[in-house]
Amino acid sequence: MNAPTGWKAKPHAAIIGAGRTAFGEQWYKDPEKLLMEAGIGAAESVDLGLRRRDIQACYFGSFLYQATNKLGLVPGYMARELGINIPMSTTEAACASGGSAFYNACIAIKSGTYDVVLVGGFEKMTDRSSKIIDDLMFAADPHEFDAGFTFSGLYAAMMAKYIHDYGRGDRRCVEALAQIACKNHHHAVNNEYAQYRREFTVQDVLKSPLIADPIRLLHCSPISDGAAAVILAKPELAKKYTDTPIYVIGSQQTTDDVSLCTRESLTGIKATRLAVGKALKETGLSMENLQIAEVHDCFTIEEAMFLEDSGFYERGKAWEGIYESYESFKFSKHIPYAKDGQEFIVNPGGGLKADGHPVGATGVRQIHECFKQLRGEAGKHQVEVDGDLNLALCHNIGGTGGIAAVHVLARDIS
Amino acid sequence: MSEPITRRRILVDYRIQASKCADCGRTYFPPKFFCNTEGRRSRMNLVDYFYSRGTLTSGSVIRKPTNKFLHVGSFMAGIVSFKDGNVRVPGRITDYAPPDGELDVTRFIGKGVVPRFRRLYMDGSQGLIYYSSFNFSFEDDYYPYQEYVKTEPPNASERPGIVGYGVYLPKFRIRSEDESGLGVRERTVPFADEDTTTFAVEAGKRALIHAGVDCRYMKKCFVGSESTPYAVKPSMSTVCQALQLGEEYEGGFFSGGIDSQFACKAATDLFIDAAALVAYPTFGGEYVMVIGSDNSQADRDDPLDFTVGAGAAAYVFGKRGVVATLDHYVPYTSDTPDFYRRDGQKYPRHGGRFTGEPAYFKHVGTAMKAALKVSGLTPKDIRFVVCHSPNAKYPYLAALEAGFQKEQIEPGLVVRYIGNLYSGSSPTALATVLDMAEPGDRILMTSYGSGAGSESYIFTVTKEIERKRERSISVKQQIESPHKEHVDYNTYRKWKEMS
Repeated sequence: MNAPTGWKAKPHAAIIGAGRTAFGEQWYKDPEKLLMEAGIGAAESVDLGLRRRDIQACYFGSFLYQATNKLGLVPGYMARELGINIPMSTTEAACASGGSAFYNACIAIKSGTYDVVLVGGFEKMTDRSSKIIDDLMFAADPHEFDAGFTFSGLYAAMMAKYIHDYGRGDRRCVEALAQIACKNHHHAVNNEYAQYRREFTVQDVLKSPLIADPIRLLHCSPISDGAAAVILAKPELAKKYTDTPIYVIGSQQTTDDVSLCTRESLTGIKATRLAVGKALKETGLSMENLQIAEVHDCFTIEEAMFLEDSGFYERGKAWEGIYESYESFKFSKHIPYAKDGQEFIVNPGGGLKADGHPVGATGVRQIHECFKQLRGEAGKHQVEVDGDLNLALCHNIGGTGGIAAVHVLARDIS
Repeated sequence: MSEPITRRRILVDYRIQASKCADCGRTYFPPKFFCNTEGRRSRMNLVDYFYSRGTLTSGSVIRKPTNKFLHVGSFMAGIVSFKDGNVRVPGRITDYAPPDGELDVTRFIGKGVVPRFRRLYMDGSQGLIYYSSFNFSFEDDYYPYQEYVKTEPPNASERPGIVGYGVYLPKFRIRSEDESGLGVRERTVPFADEDTTTFAVEAGKRALIHAGVDCRYMKKCFVGSESTPYAVKPSMSTVCQALQLGEEYEGGFFSGGIDSQFACKAATDLFIDAAALVAYPTFGGEYVMVIGSDNSQADRDDPLDFTVGAGAAAYVFGKRGVVATLDHYVPYTSDTPDFYRRDGQKYPRHGGRFTGEPAYFKHVGTAMKAALKVSGLTPKDIRFVVCHSPNAKYPYLAALEAGFQKEQIEPGLVVRYIGNLYSGSSPTALATVLDMAEPGDRILMTSYGSGAGSESYIFTVTKEIERKRERSISVKQQIESPHKEHVDYNTYRKWKEMS
């Protein structure tokens, strides 16, 4: 255990099962079928068994289903698929739809209203790929759309500002933002669900096609289809379903202006800073206690900003930490970020960058990944650390930072 | 986008509107109803950045645009901050085509930028056309920043006339490949996001800046063109909304006007109406704006395709602060079918050599000579003579035939460098000579519109012109700008047909 001596946590909820689909282009599957596949996977992963009637409510997260698949009333579809008539709701929070649905489910469990709920995230982005660049801009201010921005363009503006303000002409800053992609692809090679299971070099990234200068194709997460689901239970009941529940000990959601241009900073995400701060305060932990994290690396600059917004690295210094860590550990199974002797593994399954980013599924997929890692069930891409792997953080943001959902998971809470 | 959404967006987008807290001064974009600092009881005032200078805070080069912006190709989008109010807005950098290879965007951070009124995109060929001022050009590029200073004008002069003017010529040019001897060496080309309405707004903006008059006192605006983006829906109302012409009331303005059409004299025909209105006792307004604006149309393989240009000229008429009095006016009209475009057709047709002798020369010559007769002046009393310029040959011959000398004609023959601006042609030629005229100079301007008609005006320049000269971006400056860019024929056709 990596927590402070005498540390104890009061969990919001316990995760008792998790399932997901492979991510990538899945043209032969409807979105509700993907969600069912992930949900069935989650239910069947519950060690000691879970009956359908044990599930008392469902929380779904998705962003673009109305535009990409011309469907609404997801609860109606899922009532039909599951054959049950329980309360269900859908949360739309752009790329943080999954994380926000999970946040709502935690509140439901914590409130005592339900004992067991299912959380599912899904997205079907490739069915109308010719207009997906336009549709993704629903999560930005219309003025940003009318200025010609795309999502990659908005993140590229953040990246340019970051390189300008903190890189100050040092080529290593540009390379560090490429190394994030290389690291996450390296992590995904052994992830059986990942969309891209291949290595890329820094030169591959820096020579890939330009998308929105300075962002190139390999700085970007892909367009993906996929779904992920987890089963949450009241902590006191968790052991009825599994011997190794994973506890949700921190659950926070924060918001900020939808528009990038009106925010305090272009080189940091306030919503991340606030949500991580509250989650750490709530759990009595610091970033130094965390061993792994699933971080929202929709573009590599976002992972760099997380490292600063969370306080792991000082403001403006993440690129140096990334560069030094990558150079030191690039031949390891997992490439950690190092600081003062601490090793912090970010996106052990490849993150959005390599595992894939079916927008509404991502937040739940992050929980799935950490659940599997903390239980030692991640298979060939299982993180190996000295001692026990006990604490993980999931960071899911929407738009360019208009919302952030942060969750802290623990295997052992006392 | 629907019509109601569009109307709501227009109020913010045409002028880069924000709201400012009257108590703490904090400014919000998009406008908010209350201040986060002062609370729900705060008093908010609307402000805008239409005439402001911004700074590029950051940006990126969009290589894979949304479907709505595919027509622009690769472009830079950025975040622009306005020092006044510490407001940041998103904006597209216009009139700038990034190189194919990676651009070091960080080099552009901190650059000064100026808002430009441009077209964003269209809802297909039948839907609405969207405009905004969230388009910026670099301050150190083709269009310098100009401050709009409203000054108290002097007392009314005896005669009404031109109070201010502005010419807008796009940054891009095509070199002429024509060997026909028509004398057009270079022509202006609209960028992919420009059209007749955006030219009109930019020219009108410059005219207001030059005149230095308060836009609230502009009670009428005429936009003459034969290439308006809509068959039905006035460009004038867009110009009025963007330039805030007239007293504002609930998002609209107490001003009127129309789009006019008479081939290339659609604007100049209304000069006399503008001057008459401001002198009319019950008009109730101080000023009238007249704009001639065209993205001159010509089909491929048409000889016109070697002469057409694009741009606009705007004039403010009034009685106070007059830079040139309107002294004489002679119109001449006949039903002569030399050049026409049927409804729904994309390009005009014309009658070959017929367009010269029985059309252009007859009407221009008749009006010009009649003006001299009516005024009792001789060619020697006139310093500059300018005519509608379909090419450099016709106006030259017409003026020579009326008794004028080369040195009176040459200064206004800017068609050589900008092409035929159709409705903007003679107004731009007039602006060119006004740019260099001295108090007391007389100018004879004769326009021509196919179909057919001409009118001649005689103006006398006043001392006021010297006071206002520094507020002008002269036609010469635009023609000789080191920042103008030449494009090839295919780019010219592509951009022109988008407009």
